[in-house]
Amino acid sequence: MAGSSVASVAFAVAAKDLRVEWRTKTAFISSMVFAVLVLAVLYFARDKTAVGDFSIAPGALWVTFTFAGMLGLNRAFLIERENRALDGLRLTPASPTGIFLGKIFGNLVFLGVVELVSLPLFILFYDVPIWRQLPVLLLVVALATVGYVAVGTLLSAMVVRTRFSEVMLPVLLLPFLVPPIVSAVQLTWRIMALRPLSELTGWLSLLASFDIIFFTLSLFLFEAILIE
Amino acid sequence: MTAPAIRTRDLSRRFGHRWVLKNVSMEVEPGEAVLLVGGNGAGKTTLLRVMAGLLKPNRGSIECSGSVGMVAHHTMMYDALTAAENLAFFGRLHGLPSDGRVDRLIELLGLAEFARERIATFSRGMLQRLAIARSLMHEPDVMLFDEPLTGLDDAAARIVLGVIAELESRRAALVIATHQLVELVGVAARVGFMVQGRLAAIEPIAGRDAGGVVTRYRELAADGG
Repeated sequence: MAGSSVASVAFAVAAKDLRVEWRTKTAFISSMVFAVLVLAVLYFARDKTAVGDFSIAPGALWVTFTFAGMLGLNRAFLIERENRALDGLRLTPASPTGIFLGKIFGNLVFLGVVELVSLPLFILFYDVPIWRQLPVLLLVVALATVGYVAVGTLLSAMVVRTRFSEVMLPVLLLPFLVPPIVSAVQLTWRIMALRPLSELTGWLSLLASFDIIFFTLSLFLFEAILIE
Repeated sequence: MTAPAIRTRDLSRRFGHRWVLKNVSMEVEPGEAVLLVGGNGAGKTTLLRVMAGLLKPNRGSIECSGSVGMVAHHTMMYDALTAAENLAFFGRLHGLPSDGRVDRLIELLGLAEFARERIATFSRGMLQRLAIARSLMHEPDVMLFDEPLTGLDDAAARIVLGVIAELESRRAALVIATHQLVELVGVAARVGFMVQGRLAAIEPIAGRDAGGVVTRYRELAADGG
């Protein structure tokens, strides 16, 4: 049996994951509630006389995206653990690369929706004037999300067979996220401060490099993780 | 003499320090069904999982001449999808065309009226039949069954026995791990006795009934395999 092409496997896996999420909405509802709570808590918890909206906003945005997204990443392989569906995938001739790309694509859509819904809430809470800079901010969000999802999907596959996978994922993932999240926070702050584009290029390059390195590494490592 | 559909040589597998499979060598020819009999923890499930490629052996080798299908304790499917969606998904991963085989298999396994229902609502027996349908999607040359009749009522068991007979008639090699010998002893040509991770013996059924197989297993178990 020749099996499917990488693209058709990726499409089938992503479509299946999104269909399951659409039916259950488990991760989406949890992520959205979590995002609203984080935005609200960070907004109300600070001393307004000491810390202005502008100072806290970039950090608040990325803390929200990071932790809300983690709920979705956890779910990505937990659905494969139910009924040992991962064994079902492995019994097919589907390429691990296709499965991994499908998982990544599904997670990107999921996280993209969470971010698109959270972003207006963030603007509302923190009253930041970023409408004119929105395209640049969306570019930063997209770049940071790709790296985040690539590493997160790989680690989600790694920890899914462990007993405390929900706890293990953040513990393992957060150290890897320091470079993209720091870059994203720096970029967001500069975008909000209307700094010139030349001040963004260094951080954008760092973000893009992280994406390329970790996306490639994850793609190579996934097969070994899937096998055992 | 035809080439075996699946052959294992000195297959061994350990979990931690415990060897759960010890030097298992066996071969199954196309069109042949072999029962695997043994107590709990004898290594039957591990042997099937290694044969299917789901576990790597620590030692030994497996040669398989075609595609493998497996029915295990778990359905390997998604509760949130319908029966038809699950089969279609696995069909796509096998690179199969949408040629109506999903509907045919659902019909064959007696699940036609539940095809558009999410499998989260299915009974154990319905899930088992659907798992068999999943494993048949790509018409495997080697079929591995782990307790295929567990949780099935008489009518469902007859359907599954019919599927097994059809697989034999189209020359698939079958390995069936089971405790339900009364129903299955008639479908197999040989029986393998697993004792403490070893394949203590693999012999023709040769007219033995379920009681005869159990008696022989007890002899071998008493010798420690």
